[in-house]
Amino acid sequence: MFGTFLKALLIILYATFVGFMFMGIIRKVTARIHRRIGPPIYQPIIDTIKFLSKKENITHGIIYDFGIIFALGATILALMFIPLGSISIMRAYGDLILITFLLEIPMLGIMFAAMSSGNPYAGIGAQRALLTLLAIQVPLGFAIVALAEFYGTFSTYEIVMAQQTSGWSIFHLPLLLAAIAYDIVLQAMFGKEPFDIMIAPGEISLGPMVEFGGKHMGILQIQHAMGLFAETLFFSNIFLGGAVITTFSSPILNTLATLAVLLVKQLAVLLIAIFVSTIFPRFTIDQAAKFYWKWPTIIAALGAILASL
Amino acid sequence: MVDWRLFEPLFNWARKKSLWIVSFCTGCGGIEMPPLMTSRYDIERFGIIPDPSPRQYDLFLITGYVTPKTLKRIIITYEMAPDPKWVLAHGSCPLNGGIYWDSYNAIKHLDKYIPVDVFIAGCMPRPEAVLDGIHKLMEMIENGEADGWKRYKENYEWYRKNQEELLGEGWREKEARKWIPWLMDKKKEVKE
Ligand code: SF4
Repeated sequence: MFGTFLKALLIILYATFVGFMFMGIIRKVTARIHRRIGPPIYQPIIDTIKFLSKKENITHGIIYDFGIIFALGATILALMFIPLGSISIMRAYGDLILITFLLEIPMLGIMFAAMSSGNPYAGIGAQRALLTLLAIQVPLGFAIVALAEFYGTFSTYEIVMAQQTSGWSIFHLPLLLAAIAYDIVLQAMFGKEPFDIMIAPGEISLGPMVEFGGKHMGILQIQHAMGLFAETLFFSNIFLGGAVITTFSSPILNTLATLAVLLVKQLAVLLIAIFVSTIFPRFTIDQAAKFYWKWPTIIAALGAILASL
Repeated sequence: MVDWRLFEPLFNWARKKSLWIVSFCTGCGGIEMPPLMTSRYDIERFGIIPDPSPRQYDLFLITGYVTPKTLKRIIITYEMAPDPKWVLAHGSCPLNGGIYWDSYNAIKHLDKYIPVDVFIAGCMPRPEAVLDGIHKLMEMIENGEADGWKRYKENYEWYRKNQEELLGEGWREKEARKWIPWLMDKKKEVKE
């Protein structure tokens, strides 16, 4: 019992730290692409400390506070289900559908909070975010179906184990198609550029985030860091073969090697997202919905059909 | 309860290292903002990023002359932010009116209406000068001299009196109601 608790705490701490580093990497790499020097890589940590140390707080009621906590809690819960190499708490129940669902819940929490603030910009942002959320469901669903058809199981951990013997998912054609569709969807889940319609800095102020200041924003930063970690981890688990390394004799070395391999895979996923986001301008919301219901859906559906043949 | 005063040096360091700017461009100086943030004088090196929301900023740049009409928005934006917040006014216009010293429609001393922490002279100041001002502000934050937000709280009566002298009493309500008659009956004249 106590051991599980400790493990959960360690996973949360590790995810938060790595997530913050990912946020820093996003800003640093974006700056380098613009030929700037960019902030230090630990900048998001400083930002969060600053937000948490604000002397005043603005609140708009109970739902406004609760939505934030809800988002953070959902991210933590998602993190518990995703197998992190050989360490994870509830990997036996780590169902594909459950995890995809849990990774979208934080957005709903943020929506709750944003809508209860009564700011019209937040309202518009929430509507756009919900439409994006609706649009990405279709390719996402087909990608999940393709995976489940191919491996004959919904359990994420079993998929990781299957990839140990049969090679990474992206080396099989049907799953490669699913992975491409999922990667396009990931762009919207990160809130990165071609599909960052929900936040849309400059277009609708900050969308749902416009009213969050002080500690609320600090908690949202932590949530964002963990979300980044969880989404990249899930992608590398189901498509890039996860990592369960058993070459060393000592379990600690094995764990460290697993984490390192996973980190490299997560970074690869993240870097693709950054490169795409820095060179593409933003879609409008109707274009994004049409886009998601067209190309990624076709690709993922093709993958699903090929997988079931 | 934890005594947060112990952590104050850490917090001050973090505040100094991550000043977010609200994108509020007044006057000519608005044109000096993009060069500050793009590749040449990359201000993100110091952790400063522009942010369009008035709830999240720490640093408010007043980048030029301020008309009474803009001043209303500036005051509202200033009051919307949570507490440690700083104002940096650049250009001669917020300092003493600059070349608009005899204009009926530009305010002469910004410091009478909202507390300013750092002034930068120049018409308009080069990005290096702005960087210098921000550097000065960072030093002041570190040793606790930058206390505009505290002054605004302590001397609120004085600031409030000055604001109402200029903009007329109850300007917030008037400003909010200004467009209602126009929306109801478009032919009616808008009365300030
Ligand atoms: S100081 Fe000069 S550049 Fe700045 S707003 Fe005034 S006139 Fe324009």
